[in-house]
Amino acid sequence: MGFFEQIIVLLERYYPYFLDGVKNTLIIAAMSVMLGVVFGTLMAIMRMCRIKPLRWLAVAYIEFVRGTPLMVQLMFIFYGLPMAGITFPDVPWIPNFSRFMAGIVAMSINSCAYVAEVIRSGIQSVDEGQMEAARSIGFKYGESMRLVILPQAIKNILPALGNEFVTVIKESSIVSVIGISDLMYGTNGVIALTYRSLPCLAIAACMYFILTFISSRLIALLEKRMKHGRK
Amino acid sequence: MEENNIIQVRNLSKSFGDLQVLNDISADFKEKQVVSIIGPSGGGKSTFLRCLNLLETPTAGSVIFKGVNLCSKIDINEQRQKIGMVFQHFNLFNNMNVMKNLTIAPMRIKGKSQEEAEEKAMSFLRRMGLEDKASSYPSQLSGGQKQRIAIVRSLMMEPDVMLFDEPTSALDPEMIGEVLDVIKQLADEGMTMLIVTHEMRFAREVSDRILFLDGGKIDEDRTADEFFDDPHSPRLISFLEKVL
Repeated sequence: MGFFEQIIVLLERYYPYFLDGVKNTLIIAAMSVMLGVVFGTLMAIMRMCRIKPLRWLAVAYIEFVRGTPLMVQLMFIFYGLPMAGITFPDVPWIPNFSRFMAGIVAMSINSCAYVAEVIRSGIQSVDEGQMEAARSIGFKYGESMRLVILPQAIKNILPALGNEFVTVIKESSIVSVIGISDLMYGTNGVIALTYRSLPCLAIAACMYFILTFISSRLIALLEKRMKHGRK
Repeated sequence: MEENNIIQVRNLSKSFGDLQVLNDISADFKEKQVVSIIGPSGGGKSTFLRCLNLLETPTAGSVIFKGVNLCSKIDINEQRQKIGMVFQHFNLFNNMNVMKNLTIAPMRIKGKSQEEAEEKAMSFLRRMGLEDKASSYPSQLSGGQKQRIAIVRSLMMEPDVMLFDEPTSALDPEMIGEVLDVIKQLADEGMTMLIVTHEMRFAREVSDRILFLDGGKIDEDRTADEFFDDPHSPRLISFLEKVL
């Protein structure tokens, strides 16, 4: 049997493994980026605020998370926290809920640091003169942010957030090591059943690629729209 | 305090780290007076201007605007509404079209109705021959147009004094004239103005009084004609030799 025939046969027989994996990968990535954006925004605000201890805390967090491997962070959350007496609860109607939570929490903690930097650089890329003009005309700091700076920053931030989503889709493959049934986990399952590792990995690679390609196209579309909106 | 002094600067100093940019400056500015500030780059001209509406916080000294010490605990936003500022790089709000740029502050800060604000904006635009630009975004305008709109944006707040920070330095030569004409018109209408500029002929023509700011100090403070015809400070004399 040729390579492509193997792929077709594998897909025919085992497609639920892959599709289930895709579904879980998407759920984890979407949840992580969502939580990452919420907490990343808070972290970015802390990073830029005037209260020094808060700023230091944010800088330390961002630097530490970005400077350590996601794998270590994941292990720390999944194995380390229970040792310290912190466990994620299980809920009966969602199988493997506590594993999922550990995965999503680790990915969110990681994503949060990157999102915070995306937001900070988005805001700081707006010309300083814009803030000065707004303040000199009599707007308060908050009003200047809301009316002038953020609407301009968002144009830099949204595309970069899209890229973060693409990155998280790819990096989420790491959660398979703690037994979350994502695309990589499903692929490993099929390999274990069939001993056909190369075609299985090819299928997984294609599926990851399709996910990231579609996402990045959608982001590009959004970007174009915004450019047309206002010159 | 003299009645018609609109701005009084007292012992103003400003340092950035170890670098002292302004060194114990005191000066008074009268209502309806047009004062130009001239001097070499790095002499502290822009910093001086930016201290007057507290875009830069003075290290020492005080700025008294209409009897209110801006360096004390007051609502600076309220005072800034009365001090118009025009920047070298225009700084129009890039996310708003021209009309929005002009009306947002009067509407949001002064509570003017949209109708009233737009009518006023339109009459300004018409005077400048820019009425067809009302719905354009800043990126679609030339430098000269941007700067004229930026001046109108300040005027919309009906300020008591206008600060100009090198308003023509970022413009192509052929656009400088249109901006200077607007400033001249304002001078004729009796607007109180402080202008940091490198345009010597314009400064002489429009100003009642000119300051020479060098090394963080006011080195000369004379009427426009005396400033050019009878300079005293040796540094001013050598400066004028270079630029004239």
